[in-house]
Amino acid sequence: MARAPRTRRVQCPRCETGVEVSTNARSILCSGCHQSLLTEDEKVKAYCARREFFSEGTITVTKKGTLIADVRVRSLIIQGEVKGPVRSREAIHVGKTGRLYGDFTAPSLRVEAGAKIIGKCTFGPKAELLQEKSLPIPA
Amino acid sequence: MSDKIRSHTPTVIGSDVAFKGELTFEGEMKFEGRLEGKITSKGAISVGTAAEINGDLSVGKATIDGTLEGNILATDRVELTATSQVKADLRAPKLIVEEGATFIGNLHVSPDALKKGEKGSKKAEFVSEESATPVPTKK
Repeated sequence: MARAPRTRRVQCPRCETGVEVSTNARSILCSGCHQSLLTEDEKVKAYCARREFFSEGTITVTKKGTLIADVRVRSLIIQGEVKGPVRSREAIHVGKTGRLYGDFTAPSLRVEAGAKIIGKCTFGPKAELLQEKSLPIPA
Repeated sequence: MSDKIRSHTPTVIGSDVAFKGELTFEGEMKFEGRLEGKITSKGAISVGTAAEINGDLSVGKATIDGTLEGNILATDRVELTATSQVKADLRAPKLIVEEGATFIGNLHVSPDALKKGEKGSKKAEFVSEESATPVPTKK
């Protein structure tokens, strides 16, 4: 039987350096920028306003939670409220009670009926190509 | 052809069609061509994989498989499929995004996205029936 991998690769949201860490690691010190980085999943259950919220885990903002920060995470699940620029390395999931205000970037987005999203957004695998390309005018 | 049959047959604009201007329709339409201009309807539009639209879309329901650059205003919902590439300002009560869809632009998704008085909704053309009724002003 194959063994489960003991390490996983994380990317520092500050300097974007890739670091191989143990699956059990709860936080690491980035070898690129020498800053501490959380790698465990976290739940925001109450009001939380910070200058920055960087994590390499899955962040869940619960129904009663409010997160106001410059958010850079691996993935984000929103059931409460999130304000601020959001950059996610994986999908953002906005639940039916979720509210997302501010600019956000993610590879994919999941929106449930009833969710509220206001802001400039960029998502999808071809987003960088599309940014540069503009449509030709038909003859 | 009876009206019953006609109402279930969507209008189809093929991939070899390219035009400029404003397009209005009722019911359903499948658009596969190239357009620079505006599409207005209260019905449903399906923008095909080969389609390229450079302009505004004001419809009831929009399903986008192709490429679109402009503004999207939908009174019911917008569906972005895996092959879609959209660079637009989108305003709709509901949004469905398939994995692989690419989107760049401002997003305003909320159940009351088209109602008057909602922040940033001055440009909305379609107003729901509830909010369309004149409100008596206080003297």
